[in-house]
Amino acid sequence: MPILQFAPFSSVVSPAFWHKLTDLKIDVLRLDDAPVGISGSYGPGRSVHDRETGQDIVMNASFSVDGESFAGGADTAAGQHGATRTVYATGSFKNFNTIEEFKNADKNKLFNDEAQEIWQSIVASRSAKQLTRFFLISYADLKKYKYYYWFAFPAFVSKPAWEIEADGWKNVRTVFSADQLASIDGQVHADRQFFVVSKQGKVGAIEEYEAFFASVPAHERIVGFIDPSADPVNPGWPLRNLLAYLRALYPAHTTSVQVLRWRDLTSSQLGTVSLPAPLPSTTTDRPSAVGWERNPQGKLGARVADLAPMMDPTRLAAQAV
Amino acid sequence: MQALQSHLFAVREYLSPVLKESKFKEHGRITPEEFVAAGDFLVYKFPVWSWEKGDPSKARDFLPADRQYLVTRGVPCLRRAQSLAYTDADEDAERLLSFGDGGTSAGEGEEWVETHAGRKVSQNQSNAVLEEIPDVDDGGDDLARGVAGLSLGGGVGKGAQETPDLADLDDIPDMEEDLEEADEATAKPKPAAVVSSASAAGAASSPAEPAKTNLLQVRTYDVMITYDKYYQTPRLWLIGYDENRTPLNPQQIFQDISADHAQKTVTIEQFIHSSSLQAASVHPCKHSSVMKKIIERMNNSVVAEQLAQHAKAGSSAGAAASKDTGKKKWFGRKSNSSVKEPVNEDEEVEGMRVDFYLVVFLKFIASIVPTIEVDSTTSF
Repeated sequence: MPILQFAPFSSVVSPAFWHKLTDLKIDVLRLDDAPVGISGSYGPGRSVHDRETGQDIVMNASFSVDGESFAGGADTAAGQHGATRTVYATGSFKNFNTIEEFKNADKNKLFNDEAQEIWQSIVASRSAKQLTRFFLISYADLKKYKYYYWFAFPAFVSKPAWEIEADGWKNVRTVFSADQLASIDGQVHADRQFFVVSKQGKVGAIEEYEAFFASVPAHERIVGFIDPSADPVNPGWPLRNLLAYLRALYPAHTTSVQVLRWRDLTSSQLGTVSLPAPLPSTTTDRPSAVGWERNPQGKLGARVADLAPMMDPTRLAAQAV
Repeated sequence: MQALQSHLFAVREYLSPVLKESKFKEHGRITPEEFVAAGDFLVYKFPVWSWEKGDPSKARDFLPADRQYLVTRGVPCLRRAQSLAYTDADEDAERLLSFGDGGTSAGEGEEWVETHAGRKVSQNQSNAVLEEIPDVDDGGDDLARGVAGLSLGGGVGKGAQETPDLADLDDIPDMEEDLEEADEATAKPKPAAVVSSASAAGAASSPAEPAKTNLLQVRTYDVMITYDKYYQTPRLWLIGYDENRTPLNPQQIFQDISADHAQKTVTIEQFIHSSSLQAASVHPCKHSSVMKKIIERMNNSVVAEQLAQHAKAGSSAGAAASKDTGKKKWFGRKSNSSVKEPVNEDEEVEGMRVDFYLVVFLKFIASIVPTIEVDSTTSF
């Protein structure tokens, strides 16, 4: 069986985020470079119909931070209007005062601290709220309007790796009836980016796994998540930590897991992922984690946002003719 | 000069009174209440849209504090508007046809194009477009900047021109390389030049394959809709990102705007709900007249449809009244009114409701930014 590969998150930083950072840096934080809590968000992946060629183009949802990310984080953001499927994730943000500090920072330590935090939330509180925790480091060159930044989305590595059944991912419409899908659609929302589903289309929070599936045979248990990846083969990054969560808390039932990649009524997918036997004895040690974002050159490295064309008053004046 | 103008506009908007009376069918303008209603409908119907509060110090008191403006993020833009230049007029006509009344002729479509910016009909348009394509400028600009060694930053998305700064940064993370390379469960990163941003991780799959061969450079946009008090219409704002999700500069944004509008009706201005953010904005001075035209057209078809439906329902209900209790009930409610038919027609045939205003507005905007898929409302 092929190894299951996950589509990494791709980050988008709204210029509003850098504007806000600039204001904070000048007025509030100044030289304080202690980490601050921020929130980021992602939605379900989608495909776009290209009117020119008639093809559907796969669009993975990006992980974005914006001007609101500093304000209160997920708590305030979750109270938004509308049936939005935008999932809010909490994270921490550390802005370094000099480029040297940014370069020389002990990134392994930063990364491991964050991974530890996620692991703690799993084993200690059994909560799935921190599974999409992320962090962002940056250096802001305020005079040149240039921002160096690097995201990390820690995800636990499963050893041995998860494998996907030979028949791959099936469209949900072949599994659920239209009514059941509509019922699932109505019950999936941003506060439940991870959830459990029954064959009848009932939905519960992932934390209720045990009670929800108490009288459900193993092969009918389905776990779902809002999938930022629209790729037909590679599920999105959040699934990695969801599987780690299930392995850590319910090792007896989760050598094979039916996963629902929820996007919308028509394109969501269902598949069975499993661990190859024989399994090593389960431990509660923290698995290793990966998740630094790659830059446009495909390397593990920082990105640069040059906002001079949109922020520098002289440049703006020049283009406004 | 433009800065001065922006300030002038800001003052003018501040001084103008809030529109109280509904006028949307008469001249295409809406009140703040209607803007909120239409926005609620848009958010309900198309959950990609959501309300935002914006900077509290910039909040406008005639709108609810938590409903200051509408936003949708990551709107795909598959190709540059320039590549559509020749088919632009056809597209517009096509769009109009889609508004519903089957009898719309191509002539009407052209009429609308003409009305909008007072420009010529299709044949001449392509010439005009040719002259105005700004790409030569832009390419030259980038090149010049690159040559001059001004720190443009690899950020502008030309992966090849690595500035010294960026090269330095590449050195940092050697320590992690091992860890992540060994991870077999991470989908391979795709070469940035070939696969596009948001679909970055999308490759490896057969459906995405043809797209790759076309070398699509999928940009994404954050699209905001605010309410303009002076023009009493919605106003559209754009912030763009390239395929590497680096913010676009103004010249790059203009590539995605139909050539007739770039740098004329579309300019870079300060976003009104932020103290510092700059965004590309479609100037709303012609919005109301265009909206009026489109609404008239849509309204006629909506009214016709409602009349037809009503007639049908009426006759079938009359015929079925004896056996179908459900319908009888519904019919009975109406027949409570003393004079049956005329009154019914008045209350049934209200035409297009103001909730649809923003849905229609997006259709109109789609002609200004033809390649940015703001119009997710294909079901209408």
